Amino acid sequence: MNAAPALEVEGLCVAAGGRDLVRNACLSLRAGGILVILGESGSGKSLLAHAVMGTLPAELDWRGRIAIGGIDFGALDPKSRRAHWGRAIALLPQEPWASLDPLMRAEDQIAEVHALVGRRTWREARALAGRALGTLGLGSAGGRYPFQLSGGMAQRVAVAVALAGGARLLVADEPTKGLDAECRDEVAELLLSQARAGAALIVITHDIAFARKLGGEMAVMLDAEIVEQGAIAGLLAAPRHAYTKRLLAADPAGWAPAKPVAAANPVVEAANLAVERGGRRLFEGLSVAVCPGEIVAATGCSGCGKTSLGNVLLGLLAPQSGIVRRVSGADAHRFQKLYQDPVSAFASGSPLGVALDDVCRRHGLPLDAPSRILARLRIHPDLLLRRPDQVSGGELQRVALARVLLVDPAFLFADEPTSRLDPIIQQEVMDLLREVVAERRLAMLLVTHDAALAAGMTAKAVRVDARLDAGGTLAAL
Amino acid sequence: MGGVGRALADRLLQALFVALLVGVLCFFLAEALPGDQAFRIAAARYGEDMVSGIAADAVRAELGLDRPAWLRLADWLLNIARIDLGVSLVSGESVFEELVHQLGSTIGLSLAALALSALVGPPLGVFFALRAGKLPDAIGTAAAAALRALPSFAVGIALMLVFASWLAVVPAAGYDQPQSWLLPTTTLALGLAATSSIVSRQATLAVLQSSQIAFARTKGLGEFDVVRRHAVRNAAAPVVAYLGVQLVYLVEGVVVVESLFAWPGIGHALVHAVIARDIPMLQGTALAMGLLFVLLNAAVDFACRAIDPRVRHA
Amino acid sequence: MSSRFVRRAIGAACVGAVVLLAILGPWLIEADPLRQNLRAALRPPFGDDLLGTDHLGRSVLARLAHAARLSVSFGAASAASAALLGTGLGLVAALRGGIVDRVAGALCDATMALPGLLLVLILAAFAPGAFWPLYLGIALALWVEFFRLVRTVARSRLMAPEVEAARLFGFGDLHIVKRHLLPHLLPALGALFAFGFGASVAAVSTLSFIGVGLRPPTPEWGNMMTELLPYYDEAPIQLLAPAGLLFATVLGLQLLAGRDTK
Repeated sequence: MNAAPALEVEGLCVAAGGRDLVRNACLSLRAGGILVILGESGSGKSLLAHAVMGTLPAELDWRGRIAIGGIDFGALDPKSRRAHWGRAIALLPQEPWASLDPLMRAEDQIAEVHALVGRRTWREARALAGRALGTLGLGSAGGRYPFQLSGGMAQRVAVAVALAGGARLLVADEPTKGLDAECRDEVAELLLSQARAGAALIVITHDIAFARKLGGEMAVMLDAEIVEQGAIAGLLAAPRHAYTKRLLAADPAGWAPAKPVAAANPVVEAANLAVERGGRRLFEGLSVAVCPGEIVAATGCSGCGKTSLGNVLLGLLAPQSGIVRRVSGADAHRFQKLYQDPVSAFASGSPLGVALDDVCRRHGLPLDAPSRILARLRIHPDLLLRRPDQVSGGELQRVALARVLLVDPAFLFADEPTSRLDPIIQQEVMDLLREVVAERRLAMLLVTHDAALAAGMTAKAVRVDARLDAGGTLAAL
Repeated sequence: MGGVGRALADRLLQALFVALLVGVLCFFLAEALPGDQAFRIAAARYGEDMVSGIAADAVRAELGLDRPAWLRLADWLLNIARIDLGVSLVSGESVFEELVHQLGSTIGLSLAALALSALVGPPLGVFFALRAGKLPDAIGTAAAAALRALPSFAVGIALMLVFASWLAVVPAAGYDQPQSWLLPTTTLALGLAATSSIVSRQATLAVLQSSQIAFARTKGLGEFDVVRRHAVRNAAAPVVAYLGVQLVYLVEGVVVVESLFAWPGIGHALVHAVIARDIPMLQGTALAMGLLFVLLNAAVDFACRAIDPRVRHA
Repeated sequence: MSSRFVRRAIGAACVGAVVLLAILGPWLIEADPLRQNLRAALRPPFGDDLLGTDHLGRSVLARLAHAARLSVSFGAASAASAALLGTGLGLVAALRGGIVDRVAGALCDATMALPGLLLVLILAAFAPGAFWPLYLGIALALWVEFFRLVRTVARSRLMAPEVEAARLFGFGDLHIVKRHLLPHLLPALGALFAFGFGASVAAVSTLSFIGVGLRPPTPEWGNMMTELLPYYDEAPIQLLAPAGLLFATVLGLQLLAGRDTK
């Protein structure tokens, strides 16, 4: 069994109505190896994984050779292919907390695979499930229902469930999707431990740092094609394809560190803030000041209150104690916010142009006021005829910035404005923000979970999860 | 667990609302009726021709009908709290006694209809879902939609004409033979089954397309085990929850079907009390129906908790 | 997609036909729905009267048309009142929160404690055979559906970033209702209105049938069926016609409403 490669794919194509979604993919993975498929959304990487698994939607056509552990898996009819699910190949679904049965306890979901797929007695199956949970550090969680598990815990239960049938090849579809950034390393460790135990892994991701953690082989996908393939370490050190180079250049870890800005009279400053949400104290003793033309980064783990800090500065949230002082003479509407998910910041039913017109009318601006700003932000006017869900995330975030600039903001709270964007788009938006801050002498609070991104944007940062931090420089962290 | 107490408290509050709503409305009804209340009550007690001004005055003094309205309302509600429901203005019997007689036939009819619809509706819904888009599904769904659009009295008339008059296989009305149960039960159950089959079909379809079922398949379970261990329970949760909504139809249907088939239950008595403006009887029957509704709702609450741990731990 | 279109088309055809009968029928049909002619009782259809006569010799077609006018206007009026009251209160409760929200919520709970028909029956005892207790009772039973939908949707929409952003730009409640709440509410409100319309048409016929709604000689589908039930053998068409119209109205409205909103 070890002689045959865990997976061999040759000339795999997936098409919908004559349009290629995956073109001529060739992959090979040895037993116990790791293969990362990296690409941005829409590149076809998930379809490639589902074609391997045999779970493509019926309306998609596919052809090519897929061999798993020496079995010509692709040649089998769907029913025989299904007989190998769990036994030879397993899928770790996207967002596993939504894929576990909500009405069944965690341990039972693992045990039933041992019993019904592995043909063991229920007593043995339960013992095996308990042991698997123990190995994953979930010894006490077996009796819990999925809604009582955190995202990371559900992820670990799902891995145990997927591999309980004895599969030697695990396909992990975007395993970090929907998880906190700091869970990323945990997921990588979880997958690596499965590889050490002998499972071959295919990992679909868009996250370069995550891929780097996993190691092994990597295939980079762009527009339905694999454009570059090789060992991860070598490929990241010396990319050959132009797209891979751009992708790596967009990684904030490689950005030049930002220079400090000369201090001026702050637009907004807060001293000795303490904030609670839902009865839980998020932080206390926190002080921060944002000056014109300056970016201040607020970093920290998720749930530590970064967003709450921004909302306090905007006046959307009242602090438990502490003082917030805004520069005198600035109207309330000159304190503005950019959202993590720009789609949710626009009325979904109206075209984007209507949203800009509304703001012009509300503030007595001429209706052609947006045109200069749109040109500056390189937004094509045709975009304004579309609704928010009909433009890409990067374009929409730029329209959101244009809407904010209409009211001549003094302070802008940018709440993880690029965390849902692909890396290259993230870089474009961040460059634009940096330019706008400098041109308009805008004071900006940038919330991000990504320390490298913060360092690339500004030299001044507050760590929100350090409860008694009074602000400092990134170098001190 | 605190959740049980909370659910019980909610239902107790609902029961309180029922009592208040029915009591206050009936009090105002008594106030609004033309003529002297004391005369009416005296007439109900002693017979129409025995009423005199003296008897009416005696009643007025005894019941305190000359006191301010808010005091009389408080008294009225206090009587309800003491389960003193008074005497029927039509029969002269104690309302409570009459309700005790009628309760059995109403509960029997409701449970028989619920059981019959539960045997027919959800299994059909699952069957349609498993054949979604094919002919049996199309015919079944269309039939269910048509049935749902027919008010229960129209269904009842149709059944009555076909089975009692033209085929003459069952009695059209009454309560005395076992066959008498057939038409009222079927009338009620058909409407309930139509809705529950539609809901079960949707719930099953949604579950079969869910990521939980996809994962149950890819982890290696056969389709039979997938349906048996995961699909059925997950589809049952919304169907049972929907039962709570259906109870409104059940209670309304009971009133109509009992009237149509002269079924000696509370619903029938309620309609008669409205026509005769027999206020104590109206109040008693409306209270009994309302409280039965609350009780059935509480039963559905507990069924939901038994099936879905998310409700249990919410 | 296409089956949904077919369903809507059938629904629109049913409702359209009944509404046309309700608007034009009483105009075009000369016969008086109330004039009795005992010598012409239970005449079969397709004679002088297209649908024959009832046991009192009245034109069934004329009675059906007048009953259609009554049912359609009754259904529209009670569903519209319920929609206005429920939507208005729901929006105010969601926007204002606090005590307003709690009072409106308690009103809603109190109404829902009792099945709607019981409420209508008690109200009907105030004025048997009159129009207003039925209208009041049915509108009261229906408004909670609108209220609950609007309050739930509006509450969650008001928490959405788009509303927070609109407030940061200085927009007021009216703008937020118009741009951010109504577009999300209108499709569901339309479906609920169609359901409520159908439910009130069915309810008024049911109540009239069991003798606590509108009373003869007022032409109404339910009491026409009560009156004609003893003559099912001699006059089956006359008995089926009001049932058929009632069915077409309710089914048409349910098909127009689309999938279950509950």
